[in-house]
Amino acid sequence: MNKILVVDDDLDILSLVQVILSMNNFTVEAISRWEDISNKIAEFKPNLVLLDVMLGGADGRDICRNLQTQAATKDIPVVLFSANPEMGKYIKDCMAKDFVAKPFEMAQLLKTVRTYVN
Amino acid sequence: MFKLRDISIRNKLILMQVFTSVVVFGIVFGVFIITDVNSYKQRKVDSMISLAQVIGTNSISSIQFQDPEAAKKMLADLHNVAPEIIHAGITNKNGQAFASYSKIKADSFKIPVLKGKAFSFAGEQQLFVSNPIVSNNEIIGDVFLQVQLTELQKIKHDKYGLAFVLLLVALVFSFLIALMVQSYISKRLLKLVHAIKKVGKTGEYNKTLEEDGKDEIATLIQAFNKLMEEIKESQKKKDEFIGIASHELKTPLTSIKGYVEMLNVLEQEQPKKKFVEKTLNNVNKLERLVKDLLDVSKIQSGQLKLDIKEFNIDELLDETIIAAQMVSGTHHIERKDHPDNKMIFGDKQRIEQVLLNLLSNAIKYSPGENKVVVDSEKTEKELIIKIRDYGIGVPKEEQINIFERFYRTKGVSVHISGFGLGLYICRDIINRHYGKIWVESADKGSIFYFSLPLKHSFTTQQTQA
Repeated sequence: MNKILVVDDDLDILSLVQVILSMNNFTVEAISRWEDISNKIAEFKPNLVLLDVMLGGADGRDICRNLQTQAATKDIPVVLFSANPEMGKYIKDCMAKDFVAKPFEMAQLLKTVRTYVN
Repeated sequence: MFKLRDISIRNKLILMQVFTSVVVFGIVFGVFIITDVNSYKQRKVDSMISLAQVIGTNSISSIQFQDPEAAKKMLADLHNVAPEIIHAGITNKNGQAFASYSKIKADSFKIPVLKGKAFSFAGEQQLFVSNPIVSNNEIIGDVFLQVQLTELQKIKHDKYGLAFVLLLVALVFSFLIALMVQSYISKRLLKLVHAIKKVGKTGEYNKTLEEDGKDEIATLIQAFNKLMEEIKESQKKKDEFIGIASHELKTPLTSIKGYVEMLNVLEQEQPKKKFVEKTLNNVNKLERLVKDLLDVSKIQSGQLKLDIKEFNIDELLDETIIAAQMVSGTHHIERKDHPDNKMIFGDKQRIEQVLLNLLSNAIKYSPGENKVVVDSEKTEKELIIKIRDYGIGVPKEEQINIFERFYRTKGVSVHISGFGLGLYICRDIINRHYGKIWVESADKGSIFYFSLPLKHSFTTQQTQA
């Protein structure tokens, strides 16, 4: 119950989040291409998806809504994160569980993630 | 002083219309009356001269036979023939009175000043007419008549009265017509003014007005709509820029902050640890500045939208105090009031931002002290939150200015970093909540207040935003 899939098109942030979560005993898979999400979920079976909103060519909110409406993925909680704090207002709208604004405090990221996985 | 441009267009239109119609009617009536009076006078002169001729012809024999009694008798008949004649006289060729007639109670007869065929008016009251008595191509005397123009006075009086009444009627009608015309014109103008005022107040540039007709006001409305479109377009570009800038500035900042935070956890060796801490502090400062700058851009482009929900302000106060306490190693933040789970409507995140800003200012501007007090007061209509520090205070003359953009307190002996944007943002957020923010001086330090209405006073438009 501690597998987290991180999706962000910025590779530095991606590896940063991967390191932070790994250091805190989470099993992490990190991908930068949103097109790979479905395959990755099927293969990795994460307990939580940490999803960037402004992905190159796609909107994280749409992806989140898709995941939450598909039978196979609807039980996996999604936490959005974005540099635009306004995005926090859309979590209900796109059925995400929570929102983390960038730049984030490590403690805050961990606290949010731990609310949904242990 | 009375200035024409101070009168509203509405009143100018009415005034213009009424003035024009009064002048036009006045001139028309004036000409009408003058012509009428003149033609009456001409007719009177003609008829009196004819009468004088008749009298002259009839008195030829009396003059020739030196029989003034017969002439006098004839003149006395005038009493019945022409009652308006008050004096009549016949003179001989030497100009001496031959016979005369005076209406009862009329003034005594005067020797006429006129000679030959002539007439003159004594004002508008009386008419003097004289006509020579000619016999065998020889002037043997003159007939002189003095006529009281009572009828003319009456005619004039009637005409003036009629003109006055008609003028009044014209005045009333033109006033009513002007009222109708102006309400049509000024209604459209006022609609435009209302729209412009609203745009100026709310900063919402999506207002367009319906173009009605092809007159100057319609042109003005067109110009307004075009302006709105252009502003909207440039706003859109600015918004896009803010969006991109926000993302592009924050993305690298996220990496820097994250890695430095990790270094801070991992690095225990001095002085490396100290360097990392300093870097982290400055990264945090930079992050705040970027956030503030982006907020200011949003405020100015009318993009700062509130997410209004009902929330527990007491809980938020406690949480915020804890958060502020965590970053301050020097001050103790004390809560004076007793939390009782007050619920208010507002944007929780933005109110938290205001609280954090005021708390961090209280700490920043009271170096060497160790106390900040948070208090609240609930009135019937609003909740007032007070944040008191014991620091350097705000001079009275600066108390209004400190909420302006880029304003920094003058004469501060310590260097305090910042752009001077925090209070500007706070004021905007509080204003958008229909509240107020202000500062007062205390014995030592200052007290910042902000009020939030307890009742839900947001329009549907804002709650949706």
